[in-house]
Amino acid sequence: MVRKLFLTLAAAASALAISGAAWADITVLVPSGSEGDGLRAAAADYAKMKGTKVETVQAPYANVFEQGANAGATKSGVFDIILMDDPWIPFFAENGHLEDLTPYFKNAGLEGPDNDFLSKSLAICRNPYNSGPYVCLPYVGNAQMFFYDAAKYKEAGVDAPKTWDDVLKASKKLTEDGGGRYFGYVFRGGQGNPVVADFMPIFWSYGADLFNADRSKVTIDTPEGAAAMKMFMALRDVSPKGVESYNANEVGTALAAGTSASSINWPNWVATFEDPSQSKMVGKISYTAIPAGTKPGSSEIGHWTMGIMSASKNKQEAFDFMLWATSPEQIKISAERGNPPVRTSVFTDPELTKQEKFRHYPVLMEAIQASTPRPRHPKWPEIENAFGIELSKAVAGTITPEEALKNAQAAVEQITGLK
Amino acid sequence: MLKSADDGTLTAQSQPGGGLERWVERHLRYVMLAPTVLILLALTIFPSLYMFYAAVHRISPNPDLPWEFVGLGNFARLLSDAQFHVALRNTVVFTVVAVTVEFLLGLGLALLLDKFIRRLSFLKTVLMIPMMLPPIAVAITWKLIYEPQFGVLNEIMYRLGLPLQAWAGDVNLAMFSIIVADVWQWTPFIFLLMLAGLASLPVEPYEAAALDGASSWRQFWDLTLPFLKPVIAIALLLRVMDALRLFDLVFILTGGGPADRTKVLSLYIYQVAYRFADPGYAAAISLFVLFVTIVFSTWFMKRMRLAD
Repeated sequence: MVRKLFLTLAAAASALAISGAAWADITVLVPSGSEGDGLRAAAADYAKMKGTKVETVQAPYANVFEQGANAGATKSGVFDIILMDDPWIPFFAENGHLEDLTPYFKNAGLEGPDNDFLSKSLAICRNPYNSGPYVCLPYVGNAQMFFYDAAKYKEAGVDAPKTWDDVLKASKKLTEDGGGRYFGYVFRGGQGNPVVADFMPIFWSYGADLFNADRSKVTIDTPEGAAAMKMFMALRDVSPKGVESYNANEVGTALAAGTSASSINWPNWVATFEDPSQSKMVGKISYTAIPAGTKPGSSEIGHWTMGIMSASKNKQEAFDFMLWATSPEQIKISAERGNPPVRTSVFTDPELTKQEKFRHYPVLMEAIQASTPRPRHPKWPEIENAFGIELSKAVAGTITPEEALKNAQAAVEQITGLK
Repeated sequence: MLKSADDGTLTAQSQPGGGLERWVERHLRYVMLAPTVLILLALTIFPSLYMFYAAVHRISPNPDLPWEFVGLGNFARLLSDAQFHVALRNTVVFTVVAVTVEFLLGLGLALLLDKFIRRLSFLKTVLMIPMMLPPIAVAITWKLIYEPQFGVLNEIMYRLGLPLQAWAGDVNLAMFSIIVADVWQWTPFIFLLMLAGLASLPVEPYEAAALDGASSWRQFWDLTLPFLKPVIAIALLLRVMDALRLFDLVFILTGGGPADRTKVLSLYIYQVAYRFADPGYAAAISLFVLFVTIVFSTWFMKRMRLAD
C-alpha cells in the first residue's frame, strides 16, 4: 500500500516535471547534443506531415538513463519512446522497461527491420544480443574511429597509423617536440564511462575482453589485458597533463584547437572539426579504422537506439513514429543534420559521399561492421563504474597497471557473482 | 467565528447552534496548527519513514518484482563496501579542511573589515556575490578556470614560467581544487555572520580592558572570541552540515575522480541510487549520513552549551 502510494506520487511528480509534454500524442526522451537535436527536428517534421504531435524531452547523457530507469520502475508511462545508448539495452529490456517489437512488425506486415540496416546496427537492438527479439531500432550509427592530424604524423615519420605501435611512435615524437603545449595523443581519462570507452578498443586490439565467450568467467586480469594496459600507459605518457580528468569536450577541444594530434573519437565530432567557426583544423583531420595491436583493431559500437517504454499508453503511435524516423529517407535527413547513419543506402549515397564533410563515411561504415559491443549485461553501469575507477587509478598513477587489472577483475567478479 | 479583541489578538466568538463552529472553537489551536503539521508530515516525516522502509529492502529496478526484505543487510554492506569507505574518508577530509579554512578566512576578514565596513559597504555586496551564485554556476566557472590547456590559472602559470598543472585532474590537486572553489563560495557566509556578531559586541568591556592595558591580542582572545562563541557555533554547524552534503562541485569538476580521490558521500549515494539502480542501499547510506549529521550536531551544540 505504502509502496503503491509512493510510486503514484513519484509518477505524478515526474508527470508534473514534464507537464509541457502532457498534451503531446507521443513523448520521446532524448539526450542533449546532436543525437537528440536530430530526433527533435525529425519530430517537428513528423508533426507537420502526419499531424501527430511528438514532444521531445532532452536531458544530459547520464540523466537520460536515470529518467528512463525511473519512468520504467514507476511504470509512469510518461515517456513513450526512449533514445538509448546501446549498452543500456540489457538493463532496460531485462527489467521489463522495453516493449518487444515483434507484434508491431507483424501488424505492419513486416518480418522485422529491412536488410538495408547494417547488420551490426541491428544485432545490438536484439536482446539477448543478436539472437533475441527486437526491443529497439537503431537511429544514430556511432562507432569509434581513429582521428589524427596526417601532416603532423607525417612529420613524425608515420604516414598512416596501422598499429598502436605506429601511434605511439608518432605521438612520442610530437609530444617531445611540443614543449608541453602540443601532444601526440589525447584520450578521455575521466573516471567511469569516459576512460572505459577509450580503453576498450585498445583492450580488444590486444585480444583481451571482460568476459570469456559464454560469459561464465571474468577475464580482465590476463596476459592480453596486461599487454593492452602497457600500451595504454605508454599513450598516457604522451598525452596532456590532466588527461585523467578529460571527457569528450576536452578531447574534442584539444583536437579542434590543434593542440593534440590524435585520439579515438566518435563520428558526431566530425561536424565540429569541419566547422570553421569551431575548429582550427578544418580539412586537416584524417579518419581511419582503430589501429591493430596483436589482433585487428575493433571500434566500440555506441549506437543510439529507439525503444518503446512498456508503460507507454501510445505504443502503436510510438512504433509508427519509430518506423518512419528510421526509414531510409529520414536517416538520410538525419545524416545531413550531423548524425551518422545506420543504413547502407545512406552510407553509399553519392549525394552525401561526394561532400567533403562526409568523407569519413567509408571508414565509419567499415568501423561499424568491425565493431564490438560493450559486454551485454544488465549491471553494465555498475561494471563500467568499477572498471573505470581502477583504470582511472592506473592513469593517475596511484596504483600500478597490474594492480588495476587485478582489482578490476575482483570488482567485476563481485558485481556479477562470477568466480 | 473569529473576532478581533481590543488588544488586537484574535478570539473565537461563540454562536448559538452551529456544531461545527463550536468544535472549531474548542479545537482552534489544533485547527491552526493542522496545515503546518500536514505539510511537515507530507514533506519530512513521510519521506523519512519511507527511507527507513526502503533501507531494509532490496529494491529491483524491475517494477514487477516484489521488494525483498533484507533487515539490516544494507547497513551491513556499509562495513565491507570499499567505495563507501573512500567516499566517507573524502567527505571527512573535505569537511574538516574546507570549513576550517572558511572559518579562519571569514573571521579574519570580518575582524579586518569591521572598522571600515561602514565606509566601504559596497565591499559587503561584492563579497556576497559568490554566495548568491547557484552552485552549478560556481562549479562551471571553476571548471573553466582549472581547465588544463585553456584555463586562466594555467595561462597565468605559463606566463610566470611555472609548470602547468592539471588542477582538477591531478590526484594530488583535485581535492585541493574543490576545497578552493568551496572556500571561494562560502567564506563570505562566515564573514557576514562574524561581521554581524562583531557589530553586536558591547563596547564597555573593551574600554575597561584598554584602561587595564590589555593588548589587542588579549582583547581578541579574552573578549571577542567568548562573545562571538554563539555566532561561531551556528556558523560552524551550518557549514559542517552543508559540507557533508557536497555534490555540485564534485559532480561538475571531477565526477569523483581522478582515481576516486574526490568521491564524496552525496555523489556515491546518487550513483548507487540512479546509476546502479539500487535505491535500497542508497537509502541506507543516506540514513548513515543523516545519523552522523544528527550525532555531530547534538554533540556540538551540547559541547558549546556546556562550555558556556
